[in-house]
Amino acid sequence: MPTIAIVILILFSAALAGVVVARPAITASSAGKILAFGVLFFLPLFSLVAGMDNEMERSKSTAFCLSCHIMDSYGKSLDIDDPSYLAAAHFQNHRVPADEACYTCHTNYAMFGTFKAKLGGLRHLYVYYLKKMPLPQDIKLHEPFNNRECLHCHLGARSFEQGATHNADPATLPAIKANTLSCVSSGCHDVVHNVGHWGDKVKFWDGGS
Amino acid sequence: MRSGDSLNRRLRISGILVIIGLLVEALCLVWSRPIAFVVLVCLGGALIGLGVLLFLYSLVSGPAHPANASGVAQDKH
Repeated sequence: MPTIAIVILILFSAALAGVVVARPAITASSAGKILAFGVLFFLPLFSLVAGMDNEMERSKSTAFCLSCHIMDSYGKSLDIDDPSYLAAAHFQNHRVPADEACYTCHTNYAMFGTFKAKLGGLRHLYVYYLKKMPLPQDIKLHEPFNNRECLHCHLGARSFEQGATHNADPATLPAIKANTLSCVSSGCHDVVHNVGHWGDKVKFWDGGS
Repeated sequence: MRSGDSLNRRLRISGILVIIGLLVEALCLVWSRPIAFVVLVCLGGALIGLGVLLFLYSLVSGPAHPANASGVAQDKH
């Protein structure tokens, strides 16, 4: 449901609730009782659920994640003009949806994954507003990156299953799939955002414009 | 008469809580900041929830229907 539609629904509900507040005596009639039930029970709860759902969807957007200043460098890393940077290569080649780039890789593709990811986001808010903020380069993942998030897309893909490096050793592919050999921290795809380690030579893609 | 006033007062308070909660929710939806979600759930949700609960309470604690009241009276006799 579009945000503007929910806002209109909310304002409409508030206006109707205002009628009950101004003239509670109208609830003496059957029509008034139905109106009161609609505007003091059904519409507020429906609006709340619709609003929360809308916020949950919005919280998946790249713009939402990058709206905190501390994430600026991570957003900038998506535009690095170097295919060895994993996040940039995925973002620029649309291997992940550009408008949900952060969420696509950093969510948890297990049961209640989105819920767990959002709980993690609440911890970010807690640190952002109530604790001393770390430097961008000091930000760490809550837990080691699970290959499951990579395999959600790459499992079964020909480039992954038949890739020369992945098949150089027969033990490699099973180890990746079992999450005993990390995709991003075992020396294979370990250049991800690398915030704080860019140096002077790093160039940025202008987005094709 | 007094119970009717009490019911109206509860409905008014319930309506005011719901209106404030809805306005908080509307503001959060147009305020594109991560903290907006927390404010929506914690403040907006709490106000709407309280308003709805108070409305439900006013339904069950309101004056008895005249027919029921007379039925009770007849039972006593």
